[in-house]
Amino acid sequence: MAEEKKHPLEGTGSPGDQPRQRRATDIENLGVELISGLFMLLGLALFGLLFVQINSDPAIREATRNDTSVFLAFLDSFGIVTPLLIILIGVLFLRLGFNLRKRSVTAARWAELALLWMIVALVLYSIITFVSVGRASITLSNPTFDIGGAILAILPFLVLLVPVFFARRWLTGVLEYIFEGDETLTTRNTRMAWNLLLPTVALLILVAARPLEETFITSLTDKRFAGTGTVNFVGLDNYAKLLQFRIESVNCRSDESGVCQTDNAGTTRWELPSRDLLQLGFRPVGTIDRGNGTGLSIIGTDPDFLQAVGNTLYFTVISVVLELVLGLFVAMVVNSKFSGRGLMRTAMLVPWAIPTVISARLWEVMLRDNQSGLINKILVDLNVIQSSQAWLANPSLQLNTLIMVDVWKTVPFMALLLLAGLQTIPGDLYEAASVDGANRVRQFFSVTLPLLRPTIAVALVFRTLDALRAFDVFQVLLGRQKLSMATYNYETLVQAQNGGYASAIGVIIFILIFIFAVVYVRTLGVETE
Amino acid sequence: MTQKQLTHILGRIGFWLLVVAIALFTLFPFYWALNSSFKSEQEIMGSASYVPSDPTLINYQSVLSNANFIRALGNSALVSGLTVLLALSVGSFAAYALGRIQFRGRTAMLYAVLSMTMFPQISVLAGLFAIVKDLGVFGSPLALIISYPIFTLPFTVWVLTSFFRGLPGEIEQAAYVDGATTFQTFHMILLPLTAPALVTTGLLAFISAWNEYLFALTFTITDPGSYTVPVAIALFSGNIARQEPIAEVMAAAMVVTLPLLALVLVFQNRIVEGLTAGAVKG
Repeated sequence: MAEEKKHPLEGTGSPGDQPRQRRATDIENLGVELISGLFMLLGLALFGLLFVQINSDPAIREATRNDTSVFLAFLDSFGIVTPLLIILIGVLFLRLGFNLRKRSVTAARWAELALLWMIVALVLYSIITFVSVGRASITLSNPTFDIGGAILAILPFLVLLVPVFFARRWLTGVLEYIFEGDETLTTRNTRMAWNLLLPTVALLILVAARPLEETFITSLTDKRFAGTGTVNFVGLDNYAKLLQFRIESVNCRSDESGVCQTDNAGTTRWELPSRDLLQLGFRPVGTIDRGNGTGLSIIGTDPDFLQAVGNTLYFTVISVVLELVLGLFVAMVVNSKFSGRGLMRTAMLVPWAIPTVISARLWEVMLRDNQSGLINKILVDLNVIQSSQAWLANPSLQLNTLIMVDVWKTVPFMALLLLAGLQTIPGDLYEAASVDGANRVRQFFSVTLPLLRPTIAVALVFRTLDALRAFDVFQVLLGRQKLSMATYNYETLVQAQNGGYASAIGVIIFILIFIFAVVYVRTLGVETE
Repeated sequence: MTQKQLTHILGRIGFWLLVVAIALFTLFPFYWALNSSFKSEQEIMGSASYVPSDPTLINYQSVLSNANFIRALGNSALVSGLTVLLALSVGSFAAYALGRIQFRGRTAMLYAVLSMTMFPQISVLAGLFAIVKDLGVFGSPLALIISYPIFTLPFTVWVLTSFFRGLPGEIEQAAYVDGATTFQTFHMILLPLTAPALVTTGLLAFISAWNEYLFALTFTITDPGSYTVPVAIALFSGNIARQEPIAEVMAAAMVVTLPLLALVLVFQNRIVEGLTAGAVKG
């Protein structure tokens, strides 16, 4: 330190200087101290901000005064992700500050990056503030955008922008010779990766983090939807009620001669579960016939939900498999060369392009159970069926009808993704295969399919995700006749106003999707390479 | 020789039959919508007919004179366009990191991104509503541009990641040897090679945003000037009181779908202009 004071002249070094061999000047040392101080200050400020916010939060104060759960009030106001994130960033900034003082080149590069993103964040935040403040004053009587107020609101950010901008510019200039140490490839890659990921992560945290964690938290409470009553923590009660089921052996209801009774549709009628189980809230979901008048009855505390799970899984598995097969088929066709290919690719996308709001209604009209329904008319005209069918009212046809509609709607999605995937397969592989005497079918199974696996995995992930959350088709075409998990979720939330319970359903859907996604990715190997 | 010609001809016929079958499968409901859009409400309620008995343009007149609907077309184009731009620009960076760079926590990150879109829309609606209110953009199309990444971004990131992984490693090495920085390699060499994936994800994300209903309804309901197309159509009141104006809805469907199809027609050629064979040779 004392030596460096002998070089009071500032400057960026004479031309003959080698980078990294020149000693830092006092001014430059001061600059590093300032920047490191800035980061430490920011870190501390984040902690302080969090502390002040928590202390001044009205809900938490209320809870402290009334001796109700402060923890729940805290979760309700702040959640988990935001406080944790603030603490994490605070710690990282503090560490960055210390490492900068040690002249670590890695820290300097991280600091450079952090400053860059601060600039971006400040600019974006200013724009949003500008728009929202300007719009806030718009009323019917005064429909003008408040430019003065908006500029005033963003002024602090613009002022803050100046030092950050110059700090970064200066740091970039001196980075080469003030800081010491070499970087390994891993550190460089990690920084590069996080740099590229940051916009996505920031956007998703901003948009999705709070809603997601709120769903998780609410699922552990008895919160009412749009209600103001006190909220109690109920642990896993919601999940227990939703998922609790037992399999009991039951006999059929027999008449005096011992023959099983059947209802009008010809299905066997079964005995109810025992009184004890009924009192525990168990209700029959469905019964598997084992012959000889005995059956296995599935009973659950929420039969509607278990039914919805069954419906949704059936719907998902069948429709996704059909979509994959047909989608692959269509993709192969529109990938081959023929005149009118462009038109065909466009025609193929039509079902996906029609808004679901409309296509569901369109199918509703086409599936009408009399001669005004197109499907019945065509099939009767072609003598495929004798008389009109009630596609949407007949319980044994309902799910398959929905599957047909969904397959029609989403084959284009599948086909387009797979078509793009087909482009990444180098053409010379096919040439090589055909030189080796492999016919088209062999080529498909030994070249196309293996190389298409990653694309198939991704397509399956997103199709399954949508199928497990299927809402529109069920809602529009079946109403409350048969529920999917998502429509049951909607019913619970909007009709029964049971927010906690509905959130638990959301979480269960979430977990199911997660399982499917992991299985696809693991078996089809997107992670490898 | 004749045998070979015969199989060839039969193959061509079979192929064209396939093409026709696919076209029928995808287009006949569309044809039905087109057909219905030229019928009067009375005819639609009656027995189904393959062509309108008395074609009328009244449904189109009524749709095109609906100021909310016309404005909704503009809003939808704006919202979907910006949503796709945002998703592709932000998402391609992330996908490059997840697909081409080795770093710790890569797989966890991939799943974290996906998990943003795994809840049913209705579950996250209340939370998202609060955010939109906090940001002061409730009732404006900006609310949709901010909230749509919740489903477009994970999709974009996953599809592009799988494409980046599929590219041969030699490409980057060659670029590095030539002295290109990571960023230059990314946007001058890798990005053009993934054009098919970019166009595909762009189109699919555009259509999802264009057709999204629940968020659009919730976040713009107070402001008819901000309606998107699905909301405007769903809120059609119809000429005859208390009756669903199906013919009108179908006319609107035509008006809404045609721009999308034009978009697909323009971009579909880019889908097959990707990695040409031999790009790594030499």
